[in-house]
Formats: sequence, C-alpha cells, structure tokens
Amino acid sequence: MNTSHSNPPKLLLRFFKWFCDPRLHKYLEGDLLELYEYNIEKQGLKKAKWKFSWEVFKLFRPGIIKSFEGTQRLNNYGMIKNYYKVSMRSILRNKTFSFLNISGLSVGIASCILILIYVNNELSYDTYNSNYENTYRVIHYYGEQGAEPNFSSLPTNEYQVWGNAPAAPSMQSFFPEVHQVFRFTSDSPWLISYNGITFSETGILFADSTAFDVFDWKMLAGDPKTALVRPNTVVLTKELAKKYFGDENPVGKTIIMDTEDPFEVTGVVEVPSNSHFFFNGLISMSTFKNRRPGIFDSWGYVDFYTYFTLKPGASIDILKQKVPEFLEANYTDDQNYYIDFEPLSDAYLHSEAGRQPGAIGSIGNIYIFTSVAIFILLIACINFMNLSTARSVERAKEVAIRKTIGSQRSALIYQFLVEAIIITLIASLFAAVLVFAGHSLLETISGKTLPINWLFSIQNVLLGLAAVLFIGVVAGSYPAFVLSTFRPITVLKGSFKASSSGIWLRKSLVVLQFSLSIILLAGAAVVSSQLDFLQKYNMGFDSDQMLVVDFGYDGLVQQKREYIKQRFNNHKDVEMASVSRAAPGDFFPNAGTGITDPISGEIVYKGPAIYEVDEDFIPTYKMNIVAGRNFSDDFPLDSANALILNESAAKLYGYSNPEDIIGKSFEQWGREGKVVGVVKDFNYVSLHEEVEPLSLRFGTRYNVSVFSLKINSQDFSKTLAELESIWQEIIPHRPFDTRFVDQNFNAQYESDERFGMIFSIFSGLAIFVACLGLFGLTIYSTAQRNKEIGVRKVLGATTTRIVALLSKDFLTLFIISLIISIPLSWYVMNSWLDGFAYRISLGFEIFATSALITLLVAFITMSFKTVSAALSNPIDSLRDE
Amino acid sequence: MGKYQLGEFEEIVLLTVGVLFGDAYGVSIKLAIEEKLNRKVSVGALQSALKRLEEKSYLTSKEGESTSERGGRPKLYFTLTAAGRDAIEHAREVRNELYNEIPKIALDLKMV
Repeated sequence: MNTSHSNPPKLLLRFFKWFCDPRLHKYLEGDLLELYEYNIEKQGLKKAKWKFSWEVFKLFRPGIIKSFEGTQRLNNYGMIKNYYKVSMRSILRNKTFSFLNISGLSVGIASCILILIYVNNELSYDTYNSNYENTYRVIHYYGEQGAEPNFSSLPTNEYQVWGNAPAAPSMQSFFPEVHQVFRFTSDSPWLISYNGITFSETGILFADSTAFDVFDWKMLAGDPKTALVRPNTVVLTKELAKKYFGDENPVGKTIIMDTEDPFEVTGVVEVPSNSHFFFNGLISMSTFKNRRPGIFDSWGYVDFYTYFTLKPGASIDILKQKVPEFLEANYTDDQNYYIDFEPLSDAYLHSEAGRQPGAIGSIGNIYIFTSVAIFILLIACINFMNLSTARSVERAKEVAIRKTIGSQRSALIYQFLVEAIIITLIASLFAAVLVFAGHSLLETISGKTLPINWLFSIQNVLLGLAAVLFIGVVAGSYPAFVLSTFRPITVLKGSFKASSSGIWLRKSLVVLQFSLSIILLAGAAVVSSQLDFLQKYNMGFDSDQMLVVDFGYDGLVQQKREYIKQRFNNHKDVEMASVSRAAPGDFFPNAGTGITDPISGEIVYKGPAIYEVDEDFIPTYKMNIVAGRNFSDDFPLDSANALILNESAAKLYGYSNPEDIIGKSFEQWGREGKVVGVVKDFNYVSLHEEVEPLSLRFGTRYNVSVFSLKINSQDFSKTLAELESIWQEIIPHRPFDTRFVDQNFNAQYESDERFGMIFSIFSGLAIFVACLGLFGLTIYSTAQRNKEIGVRKVLGATTTRIVALLSKDFLTLFIISLIISIPLSWYVMNSWLDGFAYRISLGFEIFATSALITLLVAFITMSFKTVSAALSNPIDSLRDE
Repeated sequence: MGKYQLGEFEEIVLLTVGVLFGDAYGVSIKLAIEEKLNRKVSVGALQSALKRLEEKSYLTSKEGESTSERGGRPKLYFTLTAAGRDAIEHAREVRNELYNEIPKIALDLKMV
C-alpha cells in the first residue's frame, strides 16, 4: 500500500482545492484518495489515475465549486456587487447622458479599432517572408554626383529601384555574404490563349528561378525548385489559373502566349495581399535570356529589379562598404553609376526611390491615421469627463449622503471608476458590432484586404480588456477623484455649486475638443482640395477622350500599322491617331543620351526618359512646341537623325533657353543627329513629382505598342464599338484592348483619393462625437439655467436674446480653439502637401471655411436645446418656486 | 407529493444512507449503489445529491475519524433525520398506492 500511496496526481489535487468549496474540501479529497487506492487495487494504477482525473473533472459542478461570494472576502464581493447595482441604476436613470456617453464612446472606440486594423495592415507589408529581416534590394543611381553619392541626402526619385541585369550575378560572385539573388523585369501585357479563349493579361514578369527561395509565396501546385528553370515555362497566380483552367489542375498544360509561343504551366502561386509588388504571372528568366541574350551583359539596359538575401550573420554594412570595390571590379564604363542596398522592411513604407515595382504606402499617412485614431478616442473620453463634471452637482448629493452614512473616500472613488468602466464595457460591445459593420466598408474604400482575425489573438483580447480598463479609468478619473472630495456639509446645506475648478476643467476640455475637430476638418478640407487640384491640373497635353489601344508590341499588328492608323483616321469620330511606344502615364525606359554641352562643346551624357513616337504624336496630344519643329514627313531623314526634347531635358543639358539647343548634336542608343525641337513640359508621370527630363525620338520601326486616338464623339460607346469592329476585321487574333489616358493618370492618384476618403470619414466621425458631447453639455447648462431663462422671459427678453445668451459661453471657447488649432493644422497640412511637386498653397479660406463649418455644426447642435429652452413657457420652469 | 420533494437519484441515495446505517460516507455510499443497482455513480453527482438532501434536512452529517488510506482526511458520515425517514416512507406510500391502482388487465397485457 505504501508504494502507491504517495502518487495521486498533485496538480489535479491542487486544481480541485482551487475550485472546491472549502467547507467540503477535506472530506471530498478524502473520498477521492480512498477511491483512488481502491481503484489501484481493483483495476491497476493507470486506470485509477484516469478515473481519478475524470472524477475531479466531474466534481467541477455547481454546489461543489466555491461560490463567487466567497467565504472570507464576503465584504469586498458584496461591495463590488453594490457598486455594480448602483452604477446600473445611475446609468439607467439618466438615459440621455448614458446614451450620449455610450454612443460617443462606441463610435470613438470603433473608429480607433478600424484605423488600427488599417494601420496594422500597412505595417505588415512583406512581413510574411520568413527571410524578411535578411532580404534586401539593390537601388541604382544614374547621376552626376560621381562616385559614392549619399543616398539619404538625394532627393526623392533621384535614384531608382529599377536597374540592370548584370548587377545580380556579379554581386553573387563578388560578395560571399550574398545568399540568394532574384531578379524580375517590369510588368508587361501578354496575350494568353487556352482552349480558344484569349485575353490580354497585365502584370506578367520575367523572373529568376530563385523567386521562391527569396519570397515565401505559397505554391498551390508545382515544384518551387524547378518551376522557373526551363525556358517557356510560366507560373500563374491562383486568380489567373482559375480564369483559364477553372477547377482543372493547370500544371503540365500548355498555353499560347502572344499568339505563337507555347508555354508550359509549371505552377500556381498565391501572393499575399500585403506584398509590396504584385503580378499575375511569372515567366522563366531563361525565356528572356534566349530571346535577348545581349541584355544580360549590358549595364546600361535598365529593366530589372534585383532582390537578394544575406547569409545568416552577414552584415549589410560590410557589403555597402565594398560597393566601390565591387563597381571597380565589375563595371567601370559609367562613372556616374552607383548602387546601394535597401532592406525589404523599408520597401513599402520608407522607400524614396523612383520606379518602384508596385504601389507604395506612406509612413506619413500612417502617422496621420494614428493621430486621427487617438484624437477620436480622446474626444470621446473628453465627452465622458465633461458630461460627468456637468452632472457633478446632481451626483454631489449622492456623494454627500454616502459620506454621511460613513462611506470612505476610497470607496467612492471605486464606485465612480466601476461606473465608468461599466459604461466603457457597454460601449465597447457596441463598438465591436460597429467594427464588424464598418470593416467591409473600410475594405471597399481602402481597396485592400484587411484581415481581422489577428484582433482575436489572446494577446490582443487581453490588450483590449486592458484598454477598456484604461479608457474607463481615464474617462472616470474626474468624477472619481474630484467628486469624492466633496464635503457633505456644504452640499447638504444646499449652498453647493459646481466647483470653479470643475468649470475650468470643463471649459478647457471643450476647447481641446473644438481644436481637435477644427484640425481634423481643416485637414480633410486641405486633402480634398489638393486632390481636386490634381485632377483639374493642366497636364500640358490633352488627355480628354484620349483612347489608347494597346497591342503589346505584337509583330503582326506592327506590320499593318500604317493601314490600321489610316482606317482609324477615316472614322468620323477620330480627330487624329498616332502610334508610339507608350502613352503618357505609362512606364518609360531611360536612355543614355549625349548632347553637346553649351560651354565645353563636348558631348555630355545624361539619362532622360525616352518616348518613341511618330510624327502625329505631338499634334494628337495637342502638346506645344516651344522651339524648333515637330517630326515631319517633309524631312525624310527624321527617322534616323532627329530628336525632340522637353524643356526639362533642355535645362538638364544646360540650355535654359530652349531656342539654343536646336541644331545641337546628339547621340542616343547608337544613333546620331541633331536636336530639332523642344516641346513644352507636360506631366507624363505623376503630379507627385516634377516633370522629368524627356526625349522624344522618331522611332516606329520597332518597339511600338500603342495607338493613341483623339476621339470627338457624342456617343462614346457606339464609337468604341465601331472602332472595335474595324480592329477585329484587320486583326482578328487579338482582342481590342483599350484604356483611357486620364484613367492612367487617375490610377496614380487612387491611393491619394482613398487616403482622402478615409481621412474625411474619420474626421466626420470625430466631429460627430464632439457634437454629441456638446449636445450633452448644452442640455445640462440650459437645464441649470432653466429658472434664469424663465425669469428673463417674464421680464421681456426676446427668444433671440436668450439663444445668444446661452451660446455666448461656447462662442468664447470656440474662438480660443481657433487660435490654438489653426497654426497647428497649417503646420501639419503644409508638411503633407510637401509630398507633392504640384500643390495648392494654403490660403486663409480653407481654415476659415473649416472653422465656419465646425461653428455651424456646433451651433446647430446647441440650438436643438437652446431654442427649445428659449421658446419654453416660463410657467413650466417657475411654477415650483 | 407536495411537501416531500425527492428526485429518483436522491431517493436512492437516501435509502442507501439508511441501509448503510452508521457507516454511510462518500465512498461507501458510492460503492453500495454501484454494487446494488449496477450503475455508475460519480463522486460529483453523489456529493451534490448529498448536499441537496442535507439542505432539505433529510440528512445530517458529522465528521468522523481520519484514516491513513485517506491521506489523513476525515470521513463525513451521513445519517437519516426524522424528516428523511418521513420522506422515504412518503415516497414508498405514493408508489404503492399508484401500483395498487393499476388495473390487473394492464399488467396482464404486458405479459403477453
């Protein structure tokens, strides 16, 4: 017996002791132990142990669990129960105040959580990669600073993520620290056909076979090791695979790309939505290498993004130090070329490099959103405190009675805190409902998938509870710590008025609320007028009804180019047609271009962007020639030896007067000739940036991919259908793939617009919450002055005078808030606008308007109560005197 | 029924306490029921029944000796009170009465 005696499961006994009613514990434990011994003898140790746990588990039932009232701590439990009871009574008795408090707080908390979801998603970009901390990308600088530019001091967009092909393999062989290198090219459209269906797909990249070593994209089918190794293989995203293959397994199937090449599908991949670049398909880099092997040795041909991972323990700083050595060993032709490395963690929010592979976020916006979240919550908490201070006179009697009966101050503090926490808890329950309702709306507005699951991790739920506690304590701090100090004698004698410190606090809180509201409203106004400005900005060319027909460098289209153009031109609704490599708003390559220097007379090389256009391009887009002439059929040699620049490019080469550069020699991509014209600067990339230097060259023999059609039509869809039938007649194999130039541009402002929308909505909510509080305060102050109003009316005061009297206090507070908030919001919004090269200037009127709107909203809110008070019959208020 | 409220399991426990007269404590009651009625009884279910019966004052309890196989824990002995005895008797009478009122034919039919 002694052998088995010592080992009943200790942990279970402790657990049992924890939940068991202490009055029963010793007998029950005895029973359990006796049964345990009995079972060991009858059924063996293992079964006895199992039975023992089962019995303990079944003992966890009412009647045996110790009661919540406790045994020793009866008094405390009882008190908390009492606090709860009293709080609920007080909440239910003052329905208006509770409603204002709870609705304000729930809107505040819900907004805060929604913003948190958004911000969390922004911060989570690329973190799905297990090698996140150890992944870097190469950024390239093609400039004039000579060797070793200081990247951090270079202006935004002066250096690029976009670079050459040979950097990657050279780095891998030069730096022993580099583990995996991965390159991909700019996205381009491809025609994909399978089983007779053909679509033009954008976002197709050529990618190295190391793609899945560097990025943790999930392969749903296919082998990540070999998928991108052989030429003419392609990996599709889940969405694209579904589009062509439905539920079939696409791996091993053959699709036709660009009408002639069979490609084998070797994988299906899923890319998380929080990736800083996105694609629809990856074609093996070896395909590209077979087609244009020369590019892979050319440091001057720029169309690659290079990412790499470091070996564990290696330091990026050592790599950075060895860059000059690296360039010396691998590439010395261009003294102005330099590289640097950027961590993947900076790619989405912190990168200032130009030519990003995808849309980037803005850390500034994150700060703005976070402040808005804090503001809204703050405004809601202020409401709570204000309403509580306002009601302090009423509550003072309760406090006085409690004190007289013998309540201690600490007990009163607890009582008020419990009340505040209960209100916060109720508010957060409503907030949870609002979050679920608002979540899909936020997803629609932000255009992102915002996962909500992370909110429910144990850690976050605990954090949420802590936050509720915190908000409750903050919001309840004034009533708790000030009301509890009231002296019963003064209160009960009837001479008690709200303390002056209370009034002072309330006033300053109102000022704070107004200030925050004005700042938010002014912010929203500035954002929306800036966006409006961008959309109406004169780009320097005609983008209205400008249709782009994209044929993706299709050789068959190219052969019939002149005929198609002529057929388009013959259509009555087409003003003019032109063919070019790309349309404004698209992506452009840069070209090393040499032009005679005005001082030294030598050829100086720079890297302006290059447009390849025909002679109709400039007239079609109604661009202005400021010096020289357009390309023309009258000069048959134009196609070989003429170049047109924009004003910025002329300045880049040292010619501030465009006339002076006409006739100067140039050398570009192996062609030589004279500059024949300068076109007025037009915004071809985005208004976030200054107009970049640009060269237009006459080149339609290769490398053209779009028609631009200036349409002049009343019935656009009819015109479009007619143009499509012309296209299908000549080019039956290719869909009529069109877009609008202004769409191209608007896409660039989409993220700004979404930012503006989210910002306005939350600012609106903040103002709504502030108004709830103001409404409550007005109810209170008019109720307090009920008798005064009655007396004044009896003595002959007009309604207007009474309304003015009641509003006067708030007006003063409002003016103080104006003085505080306007300089603050001017400063903040000015720095936001600095992110735009073309921006509105901050005029007085924006602030005046937002102040006026806030005042108006506040006044309307107040007038609900003041007017009714002023109109009320004095008999009602004076009767009981 | 009225004043005597007794569930089926409570009745069995009450009867067993009576049977075990003087030696009725948790484990002995449990084992007795398991043996006589051939049904499993958990300590938890038994204890809540005992506690309910004590609250209805059909049972009283008294701390007994502690033994070494119980890890030094005392036993809690239960005995029937007068009210408990009345409750059992009442239950029995009600059952007998009902049984006697069953028409003979109903019982015969069941035999067929």
